[in-house]
Order: sequence, then structure tokens, then C-alpha cells
Amino acid sequence: MLEKTIQCPTCKFQFPVVGEPGKTIVITCPHCNTKGRFTFSEKPRQQPGPSPQDIVIVDHLRKTYDKDIVAVDDISFRVLKGEIFGFLGPNGAGKSTTIKILTTLLEKTSGTATIEGYDVDAQQSQVRRIIGYSSQDVGVDNDLTARENLLLQCRFHHIPKEKAVVKVEELLRTVKLIEAADRRLKTFSGGMRKRLDLASSLVSDPQVLFLDEPTTGLDPQSRQDIWEYVVQLNRKGVTIFLTTQYMEEADRLSNRLCIIDQGKIVAEGTPADLKARVGADTIIIRFKAGDHTACEQAKRLLSGLPNVEAVGECNQALVAENGLTIRTKNGAAMIATVVRALDQAQISLEQLTLSVPTLDEVFLKLTGKTLNVIERKQAVKPRGRGR
Amino acid sequence: MTAMMEMFSETIAIFNRWNKKLLRQPILIFFTLIQPLVWFLLFTQAFSAIGNIPSFKQLTGTSSYITFFTAAVIIQTIASSALNAGIGIVNDFESGFMDKMRVAPITKSSILFGRLFSGAITTVLQVLIILAIGFALGVSIESGALGILIILILAALFGIAWSGISLFVALTTKNQETTLSVGLLTTFPLLFLSASVMPLGLLPDWVQQVAKVNPFTYIAEAFQSLIIKGFVWEKIEYAIVAIVIVGFMSLGASLLVFRKKIS
Repeated sequence: MLEKTIQCPTCKFQFPVVGEPGKTIVITCPHCNTKGRFTFSEKPRQQPGPSPQDIVIVDHLRKTYDKDIVAVDDISFRVLKGEIFGFLGPNGAGKSTTIKILTTLLEKTSGTATIEGYDVDAQQSQVRRIIGYSSQDVGVDNDLTARENLLLQCRFHHIPKEKAVVKVEELLRTVKLIEAADRRLKTFSGGMRKRLDLASSLVSDPQVLFLDEPTTGLDPQSRQDIWEYVVQLNRKGVTIFLTTQYMEEADRLSNRLCIIDQGKIVAEGTPADLKARVGADTIIIRFKAGDHTACEQAKRLLSGLPNVEAVGECNQALVAENGLTIRTKNGAAMIATVVRALDQAQISLEQLTLSVPTLDEVFLKLTGKTLNVIERKQAVKPRGRGR
Repeated sequence: MTAMMEMFSETIAIFNRWNKKLLRQPILIFFTLIQPLVWFLLFTQAFSAIGNIPSFKQLTGTSSYITFFTAAVIIQTIASSALNAGIGIVNDFESGFMDKMRVAPITKSSILFGRLFSGAITTVLQVLIILAIGFALGVSIESGALGILIILILAALFGIAWSGISLFVALTTKNQETTLSVGLLTTFPLLFLSASVMPLGLLPDWVQQVAKVNPFTYIAEAFQSLIIKGFVWEKIEYAIVAIVIVGFMSLGASLLVFRKKIS
């Protein structure tokens, strides 16, 4: 049995709930009677005791600049071995600061952060031997060729020459740059450079790979490519910590994720967990020519179905636009039941849509803001002398 | 591998990287070569009459201003090469390459040393070209082949030491424009407030006072003596002392800032 304290989304009242891991229960807020669902995570949370499964352990991490600018404000989380852990938040939320602290590039103000047991400040060289890092800036040298860039990284990791040559060849194939291997990066597109950067963070076979906004500023095809490589790598057992400002990316890639806003973690869980917090799936049914009678009939019929949590009203004037909304647990499974019931009752419908909660909604709910991402054009920097 | 060998290998890798980068920028190479030529022609044509000043020959040992001025061209070239070191490091910070190097398990100082040695090699090549141009313009080196070797060694060492100043500015400001202007603003006044353009004895009193604490003076006098007179060991010793003092201060400060900035 697990006990969790949850907060009512309507009245913010906090109260404890008890349940089995992996089970979802319907709960009623004792304060304002709002009904909602809560899913207990499959794995009980490990905090605060460390477990051998944890590869990254962050406790009460804080980073302040110039004494009063708080970039990261007392955050704690664990990354499990072998998972893809997402860090989702808008620009300036503290994502890059966190990743820079974890990759030894920035010293923390207080708190602890360890990678595989090594302290990121006190044991920098041990940490550097087991991590890979791909920065937002794309740290590759534009005057060198793709192959030279990777060979140079191999030198930095003290990989013997013969091994390095084989390794580089293999990496170039993986990121599909073998044909462009001996071209200078000046002629590369942003997506190619990013792929090379990803490859260069892999020369040392890192146990944990840190990706800071891996697809910001990339075109959709390049984004897909990067996603594919990330998943491939993860299948080979590499633990991945990635930051992103894209909901879709966090949702598609991460096994678990933290939502971070203004230096604080506002939520943590699997994408499904987080979405479940926003509430149920919604099925919207529209009737031919705004048939109000059909709507009323359907409403009566569907209210009685199991698993239906709530059925909306049929607004006579707006029935054509709004249709009838049904809130349910597993929307995808319920569609068939709904259609069958309507068909048996000979109620004809025009359109049926299923809307599932998105991480966008989660973010909106938790922070009161939308995560509208404005594509940052400067993400891939212009070429300059000496780069 | 021992730590020492690792550091050596890292430094070589970074050294090679900078050499490749330079070789792949034909325009930059063109200007590094054309610059000494411009200096030679402009100054020696405009100021050739200086050689006719009666005390000039007495003070310098030659009445050819071109011969005397060769040392100034070398120093100016060393200083402008040194400036590139800082700019290169700023570029690495801006492009994210510096972070990439920092995340790798390498010794921080190899990042700087690799750059400095690459700069030193460039300087040696530039000085050889200057001497060749000088030779074509009638400058002969009194101290011969060994003298040329000493000039090259001093130039490389002074180049490394002087680069420390531009590295320091680059690491402190991480800004190209500042690095560039600080570099230019120090090079030119120092060049004219030293014994490189004019022998000490012909400079006004206050300039002489400045020149006596200006490292350029000692480097210039060592070069001048090797070119004009032969081996005047005292001048070479002074030059070495100047290089050690400048190098100790500038590189020490750079390493200190570097360690602080990137740890």
C-alpha cells in the first residue's frame, strides 16, 4: 500500500490518499467535493534513500547568480539507470543550469548532486569519464571535417588511435554522416551539425548522456532523426537525461519527467501519470445538423454506461458546434462501447472525436501558463571566423 | 597512461587542431603574410631619412633604417599573432566548443598550452618570412645562422609570453571586441614607446623612461644587436629576463582566471 498526499486541483486542499501501486482510484475532495482520478505510480518513489538503481541523485540543489538571482531553487530528483529522464520547462526555467551543474560545467551553490556516486563538484574527473554531453550550442569545430571532429574527441578521451578510427567510422554510420565524413562543417546544415555533436558526445561510451535541448531550432525531419538515435542509444542501455521545451519531445521520449518552472520542480512522474492528473479523456460526439433530440437521447443513454464519469449538457443553440462531451477513463477503449450503444439505439451521429490530455494541459494546470514555444532562430549559430 | 603523458597527448591534439584551423583560412594566412610586408615598405620608405641622422649610426651600429627597423616588424608581428590566441579562445567559448573540451577528462591547462604552442609555430614561420623579405630589401644578419636560430627562439618564447595578455583579457571578458581593442591599444603605444622604432638615445627623455620598463625595448635591442652587431650576450640575457617576467605574470594570471572561470 502506498500513501500519497495530493492537492485538489479546484480548491487546492491537500489530503492523503491510499492505494496499490499501478492502481487508479476515483477520489472526492473532502473539502469541495470535486471528483477526480489518481494513479499510484508503478514503482514506489525512492526518495530520499538512495538505491543502486539511481544513477543520478540530486538533493536540494540550488544555484544562485549574483546572490539574488535564483536559477535553480531547491530541486531534488533521481534518475534511474537505463531510463530516459526528461526535464521539461520554458526558457529560463533552470534546465540548462541544472544540466551544466550535472556535467561539471557549473558549480552549485548548495545541495548535493552525484552521478554514479561521484560528486559533480568534488570528483569532476571521475564524473567526466562516465558522462557524455551535447550542449545547446552544438560544440563542434566548423573548420574541421566531421571525421576530424570525432577523432579529436577520441583524443580528449584518450582512446588509442586504431580503436578511435574504428569507433569514429561506426559513429559516423550511426548518425548517417559517413558520406559527409570528410567535408568541413562549414558546409553542414544545422541538423547535420547536431547529429555530429551527438555522435561526438558518444565517443567515450558514456553511461549517462546529457542532452541540452537536443532538437531546439531543428527542422521536423532532423528532429525525428535525433529522436530515433536517442531511443536507439537508450535501448543499448545508455541512461539519458534530456532537457526540452517541447511537450511532444518530452512525451515521446521520456520514461519519466520533471516539469520545471522558475527554478522549481512543479511535477514529476511518467508522462501518463502527469496527464492523468489533469483528468479524464474526453469523447466529443456531434450530431447531424445539430440534432438536439438526438443529443438528449444520447445523453440519457450514455450516462448509464459503466466507466463514464460525466456527460455534458446538450446546449440547444450550440449543439452543432459543441456536441455532447463525455468524460471517461480510457477514452480509446470506450469509443467502441459508445458507438455500439448509439447504433443500437439508432441514434445517428456525424462526428466523434477523442481528446486526451496533453502535457501542455498539465503544464497549464500546474503553472497557470501555457508553454508556447517560440522557435529560437539563433539556436544554430551563424558561422564565424575561427570556429 | 600517466597523467603527464595524457596531458602531452591532449596538448598535441589541441595544437594540431589550431594548426589545421589556421591553414584552412587562406585569407587569414594571406594577411598574416602581407602585414609584415606592408610594415616594412611603409615605414622604411617614409622614415628612411632617419638613417642619415649623424648619431643614428653611432647609437645603432648601422645607417640603414630598414636593417634597424626589422626588429620592430618582428615584434609587431609577434604581438598581432599573440592577439589571435585570445580571440580563438573567445570563439571557443561562444561556439560551445570550450564546454565540450571541459566536459572531456582533459587537463585544463592543455587547452591553453595547445593554443599557445600553435601560436608559437605560426610566429616562427612569420619571422622567417620577415627575415626573407628583409634579405630581399638588403638586410643582412650579422650573427648568421645561429643568430637567426636565436631570433626564432626568442620570438617564439616572447610570442607565448605576450599571448598570455590576450588570453587573460579573453578569459576575463569572453568578448571578441574587447580582446581585440585591448590588444591593439597595448601593441601600438608600446611599440612606439620602446627602442624598436627609434634607438633609445634619440627618444625624448620621458619616452626613454617609459621605454626602459617596456619589455618591447629589451626584445627589440636583442634582435637589433643580433641583426646589426652579432652576439651581444648581455642584450640576449636582458631579453630572456623580460620574457620570463612577462610570461610569468601573463600566463600565471591567465591560468588562474581559466581555472576559476571553468571549474
